Amino acid sequence: MSGPAERSAGARLRRSLVRIGAMASKEAIHVRRDPRTLALALVMPVVMLFLFGYGVSVDLEHLPISVADLDRSEASRALARTLGASGELDVVSSAGADEAQALFRRGLAVAALVVPEGYAKDLASGRRTPVQLLVDGADALVANQLVAKVEAIVRAETRRIAGLEAARAAPPVQVKVWTLYNPEARSAVFMVPGLSAWLLAITAVMLTALAIAGEWERGSMEQLFATPVGRFEIIAGKLLPYLVLGLVTFQLVLAFGMVAFDLPVRGSLVLVAVLGLVFLAAMLGQGLLVSVLAKNQLVATQAGALSAMLPAIILSGMIFPVENMPRPLQVLASIVPAKYLVHGLRGVLLKGNGIEVVWKDLLGMGLFAAAVLGIATLRFKRRIA
Amino acid sequence: MTAPSPRLQISGVFRKEVRQTIRDRRVMFMLIVAPLIQTVVLGAAVDFEVDRVPTLVVDRDRSAESREHARRLLADGTLLRAGEAASAPEAVREIDAGRAAAAVVLPPRLGADLLARRPAEVQVVLDGTDPNRASAASAAASGYFGGLGEALARERLREAGRPEPPQIAVVPRIAYNPRLKTAPYVVPGIAAMLLVIVTTLVTAMGLARERESGTLEQVLVTPIRPVWLLLGKLLPFLIIGVVDVGLLLGVGTWVFGVPIRGSLFVGALGVVLYLFSTLGTGLFISTVSQTQQQAFLGGFLFLMPAVLLSGIMTPIRSMPGWLQAVTVVNPLRHFAEVIRGVLLRGAGIGDLWFQLAMLAVIGASVMGLAAVRFRTQVA
Repeated sequence: MSGPAERSAGARLRRSLVRIGAMASKEAIHVRRDPRTLALALVMPVVMLFLFGYGVSVDLEHLPISVADLDRSEASRALARTLGASGELDVVSSAGADEAQALFRRGLAVAALVVPEGYAKDLASGRRTPVQLLVDGADALVANQLVAKVEAIVRAETRRIAGLEAARAAPPVQVKVWTLYNPEARSAVFMVPGLSAWLLAITAVMLTALAIAGEWERGSMEQLFATPVGRFEIIAGKLLPYLVLGLVTFQLVLAFGMVAFDLPVRGSLVLVAVLGLVFLAAMLGQGLLVSVLAKNQLVATQAGALSAMLPAIILSGMIFPVENMPRPLQVLASIVPAKYLVHGLRGVLLKGNGIEVVWKDLLGMGLFAAAVLGIATLRFKRRIA
Repeated sequence: MTAPSPRLQISGVFRKEVRQTIRDRRVMFMLIVAPLIQTVVLGAAVDFEVDRVPTLVVDRDRSAESREHARRLLADGTLLRAGEAASAPEAVREIDAGRAAAAVVLPPRLGADLLARRPAEVQVVLDGTDPNRASAASAAASGYFGGLGEALARERLREAGRPEPPQIAVVPRIAYNPRLKTAPYVVPGIAAMLLVIVTTLVTAMGLARERESGTLEQVLVTPIRPVWLLLGKLLPFLIIGVVDVGLLLGVGTWVFGVPIRGSLFVGALGVVLYLFSTLGTGLFISTVSQTQQQAFLGGFLFLMPAVLLSGIMTPIRSMPGWLQAVTVVNPLRHFAEVIRGVLLRGAGIGDLWFQLAMLAVIGASVMGLAAVRFRTQVA
C-alpha cells in the first residue's frame, strides 16, 4: 500500500513528465517546422560518410616520378621501365636533376631518380652501384612512402639482374604476416566508427547549442521561465528531440557503413546502441553548456566547433593514433568522449569485444556526461536568479 | 534626392560592422585567439609518422640469438615492446583486449635453425583495425627480417665461393624538409582550414542574424545600395582574415619551424584571393538561409567536403579520379597548394599562376552569384 506522501510524489513525477513531454513536443515542432534544418541534419551525415569512404585514404598510387637517365644504356632503360611497370609510380618525364626541382615546385613530380653515367658498367662489374633519388620532402607522408616504394622496386630489380630467384625461393628467414579484424586494410572500415563520433558531435553539440542559444537571443527563454515548467524540465524537454535526432543519425551512419562499405558487426548491437546513447548524452550536455555560456548563436557555433568538432576529429584517434601524440595532448584526449566512442565502437564492431572490454569506454563517456550536464544545469539556474 | 557617395556608404557600413564585432569580446576571442590555440594543438597532434606501436614479443626460442633479434627489431622505435606473451593464442587475446596492436612470434629453435641453415619462419600478428598502423608495423618486421635474410643469403653465396651479385643502392636526398617532419607541411594546411571556417561561418551567420532579427530590412530602407552594403560588411572580415594569417604564420614559424622560402607577395595575393572566395561563399550561403541555424548547417555542408577534398588531411592523389576532378572547384585546395608552395618550396608566381587564377575565378563567381541573389531578394 502506498501512503499519501508517496502518492503525491508519484503524481508530482507524473505532472513533471507531462511538462517535459510538452517542452519536448514544442521543441519537436520547432525542428519539424524547419525542414531545411532537418534535411541538412540527416543528409549531411550520409554525404560525409560517402566522401570519407571514397575520398579519404592515405594509400598512394600513381605517384609522379621523373627519371634522369644520364647513362642511356640498356640497363638504365630497364630500370626506368621497371619503375613505371609497378603501377605505383608514374614516370612523367626524363629530366636532369636541376629540372626536377622546377617540377617539384609546380607539383608535377614528387621525386626524381638520377641514374649516373657508368651505371651499366658498374653493374656488370658487380660493384655497389648508387642511384640518386631526389625526393620532395614537403609532405613527409608521401616522401616516406615513396622512398620505401622505390627501394622495394630497386631491390626487386637487383634480384632480377642477379638471377637470385633461386636463392629467394628458399629464403633463410620467412616472415608470415597475419592481420586480424581488417585483413584487406580498408580505410572505410577504420573510418566509419570515427566518422560516426564526429557526425554525432556536430549534430548533437551544435544543434543543441544553436537551438538553446537562439532561445536566449530571441528572448523567448524568459517567456519559458514564466511558465510553471521547471528549469530541469526545460533542459530535459529541450534535449529530448535532439537525443532522438542524434540516435537516428547514428543508426543512419552505421547502416550506411554496413551497406556501402561492408562494415562488419562482430559484437552485440545492443552494446553499440548503449555506446551511442551514452556518447549522445555527453554531447548534448556539452551543447547545453556551450549555449548557457555563449547565449548567442554566433559565439555558440565557434565555441562548439572549437570544443567538440575539432577534438572529435583530431584527438579521438579517428585518423591520428592517440599514442603517437605528445604527452599533454594524450591527457587532453583522455577527457574527450569521442576518443572513448571511437575506441569502443572499433572494439565492438571490428573485434567483437564485449562489455568486459568496453566498460572503461562507457565509464569515460559517462563521467564526462555527468560532469557537463551537472555544470550546465547549475549555471542554468544561477543565470536566471 | 541623391544617395551619398559609394565611399561614404561603404565606410558607414564598415564602421558599424567593426564596432559591432569589437564590442562583443567573445566574438573577437573566437576570431583571433581560438584559431591560434587550435593551430598549436592541432599542429602538435597531427603526426603522420606511425611509431611506438605497442608490440608483444612471443619468444618461443628463448635463446641468446632470439633475444638479440627481438632487441634489434624493436630498436628503431616503430615497434614498442608492450610485454611478453607465452604463445600466439595468448598474444591474440591481448590484441583482442586492446593491450597491444602487434605481436612477433619467434619460433622454437630459431637460433639453431639459422645456424644450421634450415629455413625459419617468423610470424607477425597485427591488429588491422588501423590499416596505417598495421602496414607500418608489418613493414618494420618485414624490413628487419628481410634484411637479415638477404645478408644471410649473401654470406652463404660468399662461403660457397660464388661471385656476389651486383647491388643497386638507392641514395635518397630529401629536398625542402630533410628531416621529414610533419608539422611544416601540416601547419599551413591547418591555417587554411581555420581561415575558411572562421570567415565563411561568420559571414553566413552574420547576415542570417540580421535577417532573423529584422535589422536587415531597416538597413535596406536607407538609401544605401545593396552592393556597397555587402562590401562594407565583408571588409572587416577580410581584414580579420589577413590578421589571422599573419598570426598563424608567426606561430607556424616560431613554434613549428615552418620555413618561408618564397615571396610573401605571392603568398599575400593568394590570401586575398582566397578570402575573397571564402567570404563570397559565406555570403552566398546567407542568401539561401532564413535562420542562423540554417546558415550554420549550410556552411557545414560546404566546409566539410571542402576540407576533406583539399589535400590538407590526406593527399589528393590517393582519391579516385572522379573525386580528384571535383577538387578543381575547391578554393581550399588551390590555397593549400599556393601557401605550401610559397612557404615550403619557394614557388613563385610562374609556378602557381594556375592556382591563383582558379582562386580568382571561384571568388568572382560566388561573389557574383551571391550579389545577384541578394539583389533579387531585396527587390
